[in-house]
Amino acid sequence: MKRLLELLNDGNSRTLEMLADELGTTTDDVIRQMEYLECIGAIRKVVKPFEKKNPCASCSGCESGSAACKGCIPQNAAVNMGQMWEVL
Amino acid sequence: MSTTTIALLGQPNSGKSTLFNALTGLHQHVGNWPGKTVEKKEGSFAYKGSTYDVADLPGSYSMSANSDEEVITRDFIASGNADVVCILADSSQLERSLFMLADYAGIDAPCFLVLNMEDVAKEQGKTIDVASLEKKLGIPVMLFSATDTKAYDKFYTTLERALKAKSRIDVSALEEEYEKLEGYNEIKEQIHDNVIPGYTPMWLTVKYLENDKVVSAKLKSELSEDKVATIESLKGDNNGAIATGECKFKWIDELVEGTVKGKKKTIKLGKLDRIYTHRFWGKPAVVLTVVLGLLASFIPALPIMAVASVFDILKNFAGEALNSAGCSPFLIGLLCDVVIQSMSYVTKMLGFVFGVTLVFGLLEEVGVMARISYVFDNTMGKLGLQGKSVMPFLVSFGCTMGGAAGARVIDNWGQKILTIALAWAVPCGAAWATIPMLSTVFFGPAAPVVIIAVLIVMILHMWITAKIFGAKLINKEDRCGMIMELPPYHKPKWGALFRYVFGRTKDTFFRVVKVVLLVCLIFWLLSYGSGATDTSILYKVGTAIEPVTKFFGLPWQLFIAFIAASVGKEGAIGVITALYTGGSYGEGFAQAMSGAARAANLGDILLANVSRPEALAFIFAITFNMPCVVALAATYQEIHSVKWTARIALYYTLVSLALACAAYHIGLIIW
Repeated sequence: MKRLLELLNDGNSRTLEMLADELGTTTDDVIRQMEYLECIGAIRKVVKPFEKKNPCASCSGCESGSAACKGCIPQNAAVNMGQMWEVL
Repeated sequence: MSTTTIALLGQPNSGKSTLFNALTGLHQHVGNWPGKTVEKKEGSFAYKGSTYDVADLPGSYSMSANSDEEVITRDFIASGNADVVCILADSSQLERSLFMLADYAGIDAPCFLVLNMEDVAKEQGKTIDVASLEKKLGIPVMLFSATDTKAYDKFYTTLERALKAKSRIDVSALEEEYEKLEGYNEIKEQIHDNVIPGYTPMWLTVKYLENDKVVSAKLKSELSEDKVATIESLKGDNNGAIATGECKFKWIDELVEGTVKGKKKTIKLGKLDRIYTHRFWGKPAVVLTVVLGLLASFIPALPIMAVASVFDILKNFAGEALNSAGCSPFLIGLLCDVVIQSMSYVTKMLGFVFGVTLVFGLLEEVGVMARISYVFDNTMGKLGLQGKSVMPFLVSFGCTMGGAAGARVIDNWGQKILTIALAWAVPCGAAWATIPMLSTVFFGPAAPVVIIAVLIVMILHMWITAKIFGAKLINKEDRCGMIMELPPYHKPKWGALFRYVFGRTKDTFFRVVKVVLLVCLIFWLLSYGSGATDTSILYKVGTAIEPVTKFFGLPWQLFIAFIAASVGKEGAIGVITALYTGGSYGEGFAQAMSGAARAANLGDILLANVSRPEALAFIFAITFNMPCVVALAATYQEIHSVKWTARIALYYTLVSLALACAAYHIGLIIW
């Protein structure tokens, strides 16, 4: 996991498959390491604006009470964008 | 009748609730744990004349004190409330799900292991040697599927065995790993048995090394000052949790080794992904995908644009009919040049909105957009931004206000400002509706070239803007790595895709039609003269400022449209419609029209009155101008800085005029 964190701290983004390749392990192993790192607060999942339970909560337009808010992400948008994690 | 208490322990999705419901049926009740908002589920069942109480402990990843759920879980077990703990693991992914068992090892309570989801493991071709696992762990182990109601006899038998044996997990192999850790043995020596009832010194030492706040506080209150000072000095750096975690994973791997047989799931990058993630070919591949996507967007757009020509016929027909009926020129102009002409343009815009949303929605559905996002994520690093900044940018292709709001996921204030500042350079949905339409009118088949040029300038603009603003806002060390899961490619769900595309198109229509009609009406009225050349207000103002606006390659009509675009890019179309068609009712526009006032449609009028270099200048001016006033307000709302909001707005206004000037002069060389 130290090696995984070192890789993540170099500022480059990687896919799970690339990480598994660089660490000489399987994607399942990378996933379990990431689960643990997430649990201890070393990394965290990025909750995208449209993934929130109430996407309007992050919208300035809705907060301002605008009747015709344009800021919200439409339903069914960005459904297949994959998950992101960031290093804390 | 004796009562036995069983505690169900497992990570989320380990099948704990399924087991609880199957065991207790209707004999269950739900409440809250004392003083907490965490749900408490309890139930009971009878078996062979004995009653069993079942406590469904809150689902948690581990036994650390990271959440209320985890503290409640371990306190309940360690306090001796349960006669036996049933630990659940997902047998289809033991390497991951046995972590709870590894973290539990060292808690002084009898337990047994249930390897749930046997059916899924079988489907994956995995076989599990339960006897070998039992031998290694020293506790009863069983393999079953909680969803299989016929398999519960096996569960009851194992439960009885566990209650009889009252066995604890054999931690000798795990402790051998812990003993390799710096400071472990020395700290453990200071922690005597039963210092905190229910936990072994091994477990407490590990949690202390992991910096578990609850355990650390309890140890400090229970141990002598000398011992506390000793363990504090031995604790070392803050990476204890990583080191102990590695020990647990190694122990799990040894447990699974030889016990689980079957293929290990290794996902390799596919051919296409190897290209997209390639250091050299990744970017060209993504650029090519985007360009092809844009070109493909024209295909579904063209039939809708053809529908728009119906409005041009309608305009002529209505004009002649109303004229012969003796209607006033004012009313005819209002209906034909404001309402019908606006609808014609709005329909043309909708064609592009439909095309772009359909093609890029399709790319997203099949998983290509995630790859594009990945490639641009690395570019974010070069701009000094966090990887997740790519999300507000993608959102900004729809609406800059959404992009500004989306930047809320960025914690660093400087990075948030820079992300929003750069998101302004991303052409929004209104720009994507306006630019292709104007490009098609002026450049015909060469329209895609103009759009590609806009995209190239967008990237350069973002890069230069990042350099200008980034110097004050960004520290290099703020940038950290990112992990991205590339979703598998899959067939699109056409129904959902078309619902989304039609929904977006409908929303755009209602939003755009209001703005275009309103702006068109206002500017048409302002341009409506009494007959003399210089009677309209707008004409007077326009011709007065034209010597300056011409410097940027913009005739006064287009400059006023540029100003209106600051309110909303859709407004530019309304202004153009009003200013270039309004002239047929006032001599004031004769100069601008150059005799083309009676042309059949606005496209012809524009072609007759606006040169290609001027059109190019206008396209760049409105694309890179301030997105709209709502985006300006959203920016202020997110960054809470009048200074930075004003700086960004001023910067974009000046840059858009500079780009217009450059585009105009390049246009003069070409045409």
